[in-house]
Amino acid sequence: MIKVENLTKRFGRHTAVANATFEVGKGEVVGFLGPNGAGKTTTIRMLTGFLPPSSGAASVDGFDVFRKSIDARRRIGYLPESVPLYRDMRVREYLKFRGQIKGLQGERLRMRMEEVVERCGLQGVRRKMIKTLSKGFRQRVGLADALIHDPPLLVLDEPTNGLDPNQIRSIRNLIKQLGDNHTILLSTHILSEVEMICDKIIIIDGGRIMASDTPSNLVNQMRAAGKITVELKADPEKVRAALSQLAHIKKVTNEKSSEGWEHFSVLVQSGTDARERISSLCQENRWPLRSLYRHDSTLEDVFVELTRKD
Amino acid sequence: MRNFFTIFCKELRGFFLSPFGWVVLTLVTIMQGWSMSGAMKALQDAPIPESLVYIVFHMPQFWFYFLVIFPLITMRLFSEEERVGTLETLLTAPVQTWQLVFGKYFATLGFYVILWIPAFIQFQLFSILTDVPAPFSSGSLFGAFLLIFLMGSLFIAIGCLASSLTSSQIIAGVVTTGLLFIHYFLGYLTVIYSDRFAAAPVIRYIASNEHLRYFSKGLIDSRAIVYYLTAAAFFLFLTHHVINRRRWRS
Repeated sequence: MIKVENLTKRFGRHTAVANATFEVGKGEVVGFLGPNGAGKTTTIRMLTGFLPPSSGAASVDGFDVFRKSIDARRRIGYLPESVPLYRDMRVREYLKFRGQIKGLQGERLRMRMEEVVERCGLQGVRRKMIKTLSKGFRQRVGLADALIHDPPLLVLDEPTNGLDPNQIRSIRNLIKQLGDNHTILLSTHILSEVEMICDKIIIIDGGRIMASDTPSNLVNQMRAAGKITVELKADPEKVRAALSQLAHIKKVTNEKSSEGWEHFSVLVQSGTDARERISSLCQENRWPLRSLYRHDSTLEDVFVELTRKD
Repeated sequence: MRNFFTIFCKELRGFFLSPFGWVVLTLVTIMQGWSMSGAMKALQDAPIPESLVYIVFHMPQFWFYFLVIFPLITMRLFSEEERVGTLETLLTAPVQTWQLVFGKYFATLGFYVILWIPAFIQFQLFSILTDVPAPFSSGSLFGAFLLIFLMGSLFIAIGCLASSLTSSQIIAGVVTTGLLFIHYFLGYLTVIYSDRFAAAPVIRYIASNEHLRYFSKGLIDSRAIVYYLTAAAFFLFLTHHVINRRRWRS
């Protein structure tokens, strides 16, 4: 659905996006992650035809976003980050204008308006001025606008930004539903959101694509996957020596001791599990073992790992 | 074409759905009435060889309010969209830039034409209310209104350009006012220095007060018509390219 090849955008000397290459298949819900200023919005603006790329190419449904811009734009429903709306218009009026401008008319326009109003929960505010609406409702109006021409691709730039937890939940549910029959590119930096909604993740930092995979694959590949915490009662030096002898162990550190219990954190190679061997080691040496815990790596670890600056 | 029409309707309605359009309409109507009554008083005081139309459009008040109309009605056209961010939603919808520029331009021109309806009615009222045959010919009335329309088409295009250059309404308004005042005072160069400098014919060709003198006597000069329409087209072309600058910059 989206094909991006070596997309680059420079603003003067600053390179906002450098050689980005990725693909989004039909029907996929893709999370587009990155810290603030990573180049998410710039990439999205190039995809939607608002900014031209400095070099490289992008296409939507086979239409080049620069050369066949109008055809590409017809297939995209775009919700910009700041949700720009005409404050002096009523919700109905705004949606009608947006529908007309996207090529709908007559009966079809009326039907689509009814459908998006219902889908986005706007029945109660149809006749209200947009400037009187709360942030949550404005976000829904923006989403309704993105949906009105029934585009196969939705591009949502931080759709839950600045909402309260209830509103975030309802927008998230809405996006989840939409994911059943739309391709969605969802930019955000709320990781739990991505874990809940997305089939695939693209992580961008400093204008470069750092990773592009499913959430579970990303998590499994991470270093953090191999951390085990052990709590036992024994001489720390002996324990450290014994643990270091085991296979696949990278590093053993004695973190603290309290009331005779020694806390160790053990780094193992990813994709291995040393818990069984550690427990039998304790049995052999008759060391009382209080806890043996393997840390599940989270998407947050992946994100921090890929995008931290130090 | 449909997109052009959609934007045209939305913009034109926009003038009347906010207090802004009504305030401008009221202000302009009052000023038109003031120059009308001033002109009638001038006719009463002393015999003047010119028609009422000529005097109305040569009252000092005329240029004073006439030049203020344009920054008022054009300053928010593009700068407001840019500031609020709606330019992004407009240009990422399947809308071509020229449809947007023409839609906004012609809507503003439409509103401008509406602004002149009160003045037209005032001229018609003269004979009805005073029972005296109107002291002007229909030709001079037609000529004057034609030139008002032509000047409007150029000055609104200049306002569109200024508005597309910035996201601040104030700056757009100030730039438009500045350009229009320069254009206006250029016309006085030939009055001050007569024709004794090389650029005098050019200045005469572009000076609006010169045109107004002919047109409000009923002399319709086709050179002026060509001048205003091509200059308006040129400024719209520039506006189109400024809006599209994103597409070719960098």
